[in-house]
Amino acid sequence: MRSVKNNMKTILDYIHRETWSPYVAGILLGVVAIAAVWLSNNLLGASGAFENLAGMIGKTIAPKAFDNLYFNFIMPPGITYGVMMLVGIFFGGMIGAATSGTLMWGKKGATNSDAQWKRIFGPQVWKRWLLAFLGAIILEYAAGIAGGCTSGLVISGGMLIAPAAFIFMGGMFASGIITAWVIYRRRY
Amino acid sequence: MSTLIIALVLGVFFGFSLNKAGLTRYHKIVNIFRFTDMAVLQFIMTALTVAMIGLFSLRALGLLTFPNIPATYVVGNLVGGLLFGVGMALTGY
Repeated sequence: MRSVKNNMKTILDYIHRETWSPYVAGILLGVVAIAAVWLSNNLLGASGAFENLAGMIGKTIAPKAFDNLYFNFIMPPGITYGVMMLVGIFFGGMIGAATSGTLMWGKKGATNSDAQWKRIFGPQVWKRWLLAFLGAIILEYAAGIAGGCTSGLVISGGMLIAPAAFIFMGGMFASGIITAWVIYRRRY
Repeated sequence: MSTLIIALVLGVFFGFSLNKAGLTRYHKIVNIFRFTDMAVLQFIMTALTVAMIGLFSLRALGLLTFPNIPATYVVGNLVGGLLFGVGMALTGY
């Protein structure tokens, strides 16, 4: 009995830790990815959901502009599997932060909390928002071209050994390294 | 309907693992590209290895079939990847 209790405590303590070993977290994600295929014959993904939602908004605001091949067949609008998963990711991330006491929701400085970011770009909140917004446009557009993002293509595609995933990864690292180098230059 | 609930539950675990691996932090993402913190890469590669072994074993046992794999179109995948890296290094997504 005693050892069971101790084991439970060890596990609970681990859940409360802020950062897990990437190997442990990776195993969890691997199991989730297997479960997605096994339980629902679907893949993990995040970026597609934004397109489904954008399609939904677009179809009500400007039905003509959104009445094209892409939004009718490739990325149909609506509450899809991906949208539900995105909602889950949002709350899962919050639960993860809450269990380690690092949830910044509503706290002071929450919108620009990364020390390294502040060191490079400055403490202004608007800068953080602007760069995040512009960067996110690039991300979403790129994911649209490539057919997936880090989750939908690198992880879901990679685990099925899809060539697309590895081509994407090569491009992503090449330009990511160059971009980081341009931003950091001497501090690289 | 039930698949939507499965998606929600899986998403919660997905987000949880991302948070615990530190992928919700800007510096964790950018530092892969600066070669100073490889945790994200270790995380992704572990997930890939576990998922590959699991999926291919389960398929060999006849317990599941694979969904359609993401389409391969070299130029699109590559250009998308190149653009994606820029956004990734900028935002820390």
